[in-house]
Amino acid sequence: MTGRQAPLLSVRDLKVVFPTPIGMVHAVDGVSFDLEAGQSMGIVGESGSGKTVTAKTLMNLLPSYALVDGSVNFDGRDLRALAAERKTEKHLWGVEISMVFQDPMTSLNPVKKVGEQIAESVRYHLGQTRTAARRQAGDLLEQVGIPEPGRRLDEYPHQLSGGLRQRVVIAAALACEPRILIADEPTTSLDVTVQKHILDLLDDLRTARGMAMILVTHDLGVVKGRTDEVMVMYAGRTMEEASTEAVFSQQGHPYTEALIETIPKINSASHTRLVPIPGQPPVTTSPPTGCPFADRCRYATDLCVAQGPPLTALGNGHHVACHTPVRTPAAETALAANAARGHTATGLEIHQSGVPIGAVTGGLGEQT
Amino acid sequence: MAGRGTIQLRSGEDIILRVENLVQEFPVGRDRVVHAVSDVSFDLRKGETLGIVGESGCGKSTTARAIVQLPPPTSGRVVLDPSSENEIDLTRLSGHDLRNARPRLQMIFQDPISSLNPRRRVKDIVSEGLEIWSDGDIGTEGRERVEEVLHAVGIDPVVAASHRPHQFSGGQCQRISIARALTVNPEILICDEPVSALDVSVQAKILNLLEDMKARYELSLVFISHDLSVVRNVSDRVVVMYLGKICEVGGADRLYDAPAHPYTRALLASAPEPAQSVGVADAVLGDDLPSPTDPPSGCRFRTRCPLAIDRCATEEPLMQEIDEDHFVACHLPST
Amino acid sequence: MKLTAEPPMDESSGAVKARRLGPGFWLPMGWIFLIVGVALLAPVLPLKDPTDYFIRPGERPPYPPSADHWFGTDQDARDMFSRIISGARVSLAVGFMTVTMSFIVGGTLGMVAGLVRGWFDRLASFLFLVVLSFPGIVLVILIIALIDRSVLTISVVLAIGGIAPVGRLARAATLSFAEREFVIAARTLGARNSRILFRELLPNVVIPMGALVLLGVAAAILAEGGLAFLGLSIEKGETWGKLIRNGSGSRVLRDSPWVAFGPITVMFLTLASINYIGDYLRDFFNVRETGLGQ
Repeated sequence: MTGRQAPLLSVRDLKVVFPTPIGMVHAVDGVSFDLEAGQSMGIVGESGSGKTVTAKTLMNLLPSYALVDGSVNFDGRDLRALAAERKTEKHLWGVEISMVFQDPMTSLNPVKKVGEQIAESVRYHLGQTRTAARRQAGDLLEQVGIPEPGRRLDEYPHQLSGGLRQRVVIAAALACEPRILIADEPTTSLDVTVQKHILDLLDDLRTARGMAMILVTHDLGVVKGRTDEVMVMYAGRTMEEASTEAVFSQQGHPYTEALIETIPKINSASHTRLVPIPGQPPVTTSPPTGCPFADRCRYATDLCVAQGPPLTALGNGHHVACHTPVRTPAAETALAANAARGHTATGLEIHQSGVPIGAVTGGLGEQT
Repeated sequence: MAGRGTIQLRSGEDIILRVENLVQEFPVGRDRVVHAVSDVSFDLRKGETLGIVGESGCGKSTTARAIVQLPPPTSGRVVLDPSSENEIDLTRLSGHDLRNARPRLQMIFQDPISSLNPRRRVKDIVSEGLEIWSDGDIGTEGRERVEEVLHAVGIDPVVAASHRPHQFSGGQCQRISIARALTVNPEILICDEPVSALDVSVQAKILNLLEDMKARYELSLVFISHDLSVVRNVSDRVVVMYLGKICEVGGADRLYDAPAHPYTRALLASAPEPAQSVGVADAVLGDDLPSPTDPPSGCRFRTRCPLAIDRCATEEPLMQEIDEDHFVACHLPST
Repeated sequence: MKLTAEPPMDESSGAVKARRLGPGFWLPMGWIFLIVGVALLAPVLPLKDPTDYFIRPGERPPYPPSADHWFGTDQDARDMFSRIISGARVSLAVGFMTVTMSFIVGGTLGMVAGLVRGWFDRLASFLFLVVLSFPGIVLVILIIALIDRSVLTISVVLAIGGIAPVGRLARAATLSFAEREFVIAARTLGARNSRILFRELLPNVVIPMGALVLLGVAAAILAEGGLAFLGLSIEKGETWGKLIRNGSGSRVLRDSPWVAFGPITVMFLTLASINYIGDYLRDFFNVRETGLGQ
């Protein structure tokens, strides 16, 4: 780390556990990452991967019964300690770290004019006067590309379309000039033509303001060509962390590889047979000792079952939590051995070509 | 059009469903009407998958519901076996006759949880169709059919006998929905966003399953989705809808490789991974989404269309054939 | 995002089994079993005759609680314990009959209205509104004055008042389920309205209604008590309301509080237990319905 500035945000071995009637749910199970000032990072994962819980931890939005372990440092301050003390840092969350949620309708108060909702946070956190706050709200609406911002200030959320509402939410999140913006599935509830506009807007605002951004999404397509880095999460753990370019062109983790492979491609001819990922994610109440993806992985070896792979560097800032990263000799050997005996170390049957049997036969006899 | 016209309708013995000039309007409050679907026509060939793609509010789900007469459309015809002597217009049926025709068309819905009655066991849910038509006991043959269908979709019949829907994952619930539809031996399966609520790793399995079931049970599919990639993957023919109208109809690969309507081009260019056939410039669209209670005059897409001219406001474009089996409703189609 | 991965079925079925009804449920339930059991078995139990006068020469009743009279006696030296049990028979009968009638009528009206909509829905909703807007107590007094004060009449009169709230809840619950896709799926399979009503909707609507059944029993028992204070309760026999009223004259209350205290305690414990069980079951089924982790 010598010669380098300390990162703006540094998360180390974060663990979040929820006690539930069905047992302890290990929602986040040892996640570490750094975010530099002005950098953008995508956190990608399916439901149950822990991506949203990670984001909520950063925003201090976890329910009080959640058990948290590990450290979260923001600009030299220990966020977990601050969260425990509560009131001293009321001007941190919502000011220096701010969040945009999935559903703009629920994040806006339906009975308040949008102008007031933006001005409110400026007045509360920055202590501005009513008129100054209103002027700033108008400026913000203009910055997020809302036509006729002066008129929109006095409208209620239900008078706006979904895309405009999300722009208002973004304006409110930017009101106090945050240094990190966390966007949790910001476009999932929007139409595809609007989605692109919102993502472009977030990108432009980030560059213009030198703000760091974390984009949480289930959709690899949303981060592609957009964020600097991508972290792929699965079963509460980090599977892979790399530059966005590398994740798509030379992904190292079998899960990332399978995820990219399984998505229908807009440029593939119709009726192209899809390649599903066999099996299902592990139960979060009893995380496996080995790699959580081993049961579904065609490369799985005995080592994968016995021992969870640590996140290791492949070079160029590319980290993978895998004993047999894709495109390495280890992976070739493991796949060849598995193909030869017809199944992996976890018993997943695979074809001679190395494709899991379940993937070929599709639905028949196999559980989703 | 987006516009109107029926030139895209095909002839031939193997057309099993024809939707003609379908209109669906819902009154809201005083004197106001939502024009959800306005003069939509398309057809479905036996063994074909027809994809209907569009954004929220385009009327694609309303169209699906209107086909199965839940609720019946305001006007228009929904004809089964249009080229045979005993063609049936569903919109003219009611009561007993409509009930008799119902099993021929089955539906799969978006929400796997809400699609299944939470209070009933999965096997009872899947047996329901047979039970309705058998006055109580579905008999040995019926039970065998249920087991066969459950096995085909990948659900263990023994587990299904004792478990309720909430004990299954979203993907499994979608399999159960498919099984329920298949027991009554339908000819047409209407899938309304069947994979939108599922994780990507589950999507592929359900899409593959639908393809397998289509082949195994000789189904024809109407597949509705907002996801352009998914629609191309499953469809033989694609209908693009916007604000209750059809913009473009054509063979899936032809339509994706040479989109002619500016709206289709914008959709394809806005996708997270844009189609190769369009450029960045095609994604430029106005944000001004018109209200379905007061749709724009002329072409309904003109308020957001980068190419709009005066004529688009005054004259609604007619569906025209620009290539073999490729139809577009636009005054200025790209060719 | 969901906090848990979608559970495979074995895991989740274990989870449902793990949720059992706790002691917070069984304690009030035990009280209800006891009171209902004693009320049902009263004729065969070795109880004192509730109408007998146990006058002790030289002493003025009411007599305080003793080994002989556990809850004391009333002003006429009748045994309070057996009178409370005898009152339980009538009070509980009124409660259950009222609820049965109001649920059959209100529930049917509400569910049909919610399913078929249209003119029937508008008519039923209008009727519910009229009943709710009408001063119920006036109606009750009027009917009782015109007909008689039998258990059946009182129950019917109270049931009429219950039709509107029950019907509105049934309608709302039906509406919320009738829009779900599983109902549409049943229709595409060819199901008739009757099948949808009984097979698809009833099992779901029964859950929110179940809690209301218990609240309804409690409300009916309470309403009967209110009528007793107006002197309009059942003519023959005892009810808890009549017993409480009997003991609530200011002199009696000051000099011999046990006359009112016995029936008040039993009535309070019973109503509290019923209400508590209702709430408990509603919470329990809410969790079951949504399904854990989904």
